[in-house]
Amino acid sequence: MAVAKLAVAVALVCLILGCGSGRDDEIVVSFPGSALGAEGELLAQQLERFMAEHPGIRVERRATPDASDQRHQLYVQWLNAGVGDPDILQLDVIWTAEFAAAGWILSLDRFDPDTADLLPGPLAASRYRGRLYALPWFVDVGLLYWRTDLLEGPPSSFADLGGVVAQAAGRAGLPYAFVWQGARYEGLVTVFLEFLGGHGGRILDERGAVRVDSEAAVRALSLMKQSIEDGWAPKAVLGWQEEQVRFAFQNGKAVLMRNWPYAYPLMERGADSKVAGRFAVAPMPATSSGEPTAALGGSLLAINARSEHPEAAWAVIDYLTRPAQMLDRAVQVGQYPPRRSLYQEGSGLQGRLAIPLAAIGQVIERARARPVTPIYSELSGLLQIRLHEALTGQRDPAEALSLAAREMRELLARKDLGPEPEVMDDAG
Amino acid sequence: MQARGEARLAWLLIAPALGSVVVIALFPLAWAIRESFHLHDLRAPWLGQPWIGLANYAEAAADARLWLALAHTVGFAAVSVALELALGLLLALALHRAIAARGPVRTLALIPWALPTVVAALLWRFLFDGPTDWLADPLRAWIPIVLADVWKTTPFVMLLLLAGLQTIDESLYEAARIDGASDWQQFCHVTLPLLRPALLVALIFRTLDALRVFDLIYALTGGGPGTATEPISLYAFNVLLQNLRFGYGSAIAVIVFLVTFGLALLYVRTVGAGLLEEES
Repeated sequence: MAVAKLAVAVALVCLILGCGSGRDDEIVVSFPGSALGAEGELLAQQLERFMAEHPGIRVERRATPDASDQRHQLYVQWLNAGVGDPDILQLDVIWTAEFAAAGWILSLDRFDPDTADLLPGPLAASRYRGRLYALPWFVDVGLLYWRTDLLEGPPSSFADLGGVVAQAAGRAGLPYAFVWQGARYEGLVTVFLEFLGGHGGRILDERGAVRVDSEAAVRALSLMKQSIEDGWAPKAVLGWQEEQVRFAFQNGKAVLMRNWPYAYPLMERGADSKVAGRFAVAPMPATSSGEPTAALGGSLLAINARSEHPEAAWAVIDYLTRPAQMLDRAVQVGQYPPRRSLYQEGSGLQGRLAIPLAAIGQVIERARARPVTPIYSELSGLLQIRLHEALTGQRDPAEALSLAAREMRELLARKDLGPEPEVMDDAG
Repeated sequence: MQARGEARLAWLLIAPALGSVVVIALFPLAWAIRESFHLHDLRAPWLGQPWIGLANYAEAAADARLWLALAHTVGFAAVSVALELALGLLLALALHRAIAARGPVRTLALIPWALPTVVAALLWRFLFDGPTDWLADPLRAWIPIVLADVWKTTPFVMLLLLAGLQTIDESLYEAARIDGASDWQQFCHVTLPLLRPALLVALIFRTLDALRVFDLIYALTGGGPGTATEPISLYAFNVLLQNLRFGYGSAIAVIVFLVTFGLALLYVRTVGAGLLEEES
């Protein structure tokens, strides 16, 4: 029945549009996503293979800005206008709730995908209010890079930062013990999330209530502030994003660095790297009341709710998220797969990634999704400001966090998103 | 009859200009005003787009970040424009007196002004980010911002004032010297009054530009640390294009429009009065 309907819809669309390709039995789905360099070439190959396997479907790629903010803006414009044209969407892990709550993306439950092998963090980022709205495509995680020539092992507690790590920096004459992303941007929230998880706190709880003013949060932020005040981290980190942090570590100026996996091959193989062969990665430390936490990044695939060809779009997503395709992606462009089986001993990935499989696997397993709420980026914007005010000494951490919590609660209430509302109409 | 025909022709002739003003300036303005009375949140489509009267303006009145951003903007404009006018005047006077190499110097001085603002901002950011940690200090972060703006736009002010200086009749100075006026007296009683129209034009251009400051701060500090250097245009950008709150963002835009328009009106009156004085 659905197939018949689909065929009629396709026929109609082809009649109206004249279907330039000349093959009127062909379904065309569009996929605007990141397509730069090696990543773009790989995707082109994968889609070629897909089309060879599914002769009735043609996937058209669209160029979009590579910066995720700009892609978000573009997607919102399209989806808000209610067009069915981009059939497949590449979502950043923090967009799912927003797009689902707006009714812009289809619940994938109807396709009954097999999620048993998917890691918990990426899967949580793909769900909203109990339904699955996307499938994880590749993941990014926050890692703690440490110097194997200066430390005996990665720091196991936060106390080590001011202790062993600071002493190692002093002995070796390095200016900094620990460098991290402290500029006022999304990266600051991911770093905070890791300190917070390590202290047993969270930004929103399961019910969606704001918990960022908890005692654990105050301790986490105070520690970040202390690391600057006590000189383990340079004051300059307050303006640093990923690359400045990498340069500092790569030039041998710091014992520890918090960064994403992309930095690993650059520092291992880069001709200008002073630390090649002298560093390793580990999870962030934690206190006894928390657990080592890694912020989760990466991309998910979803289907436009207005798509004329959801089945065909699903076939593409299903294909791209198969283990073999993810393996190719990991090996060729270094994007890590969200499948647990690929991190096990003897998987096809063994020895083929920049970062040793076991090391990255144990961090990815702990990757924690950022709060799942339709207004995540606004909440994050508020939080970034207050965190930065505390770190730059404009407010004390407790005051900054209670202010942030109050503003976040007000914002959630204003958008009808208070804690634990009853089932929301997500069909709309 | 003739007069009426001419009037009709006049209207006909200015119709295209009038039409484009309506389409380009008035229509978007009217639309922004209309939006500002609605709740229109692209990120929360489930709320719909109801008419909410003055609620957006009430929110603006209670929005500390908005008022802080307005204060930042006005403070920035006052300090940087004052510095630019003073320095621009000094440079113009020097260049006016200089006989040799006036042309090349004038061209060289214009280089900062010709540089795209974002490039200039990044340049100043690299100068201060690293050697100092001022960009992480809520007060000192203003220093590179004001310096960059002064460095970049003083040449423009200088050029305007130099043009003004060159229109002053040299014989007035001769007469003043014959009357025994000192250099300072000549400056106060001949140069300054006659330079007034040029000064006012420079003041208007620079003030209105400074009140709209966006790209310089966006690239230099991003409004930080926290929101310590956030100007109103950056906040409006954030609300409108990042949070996609079209209703509230429009209310902010309308407020900014009213402030700038009021100031422009004030200036136009002053200049108008100034120019009339000169003529009579």
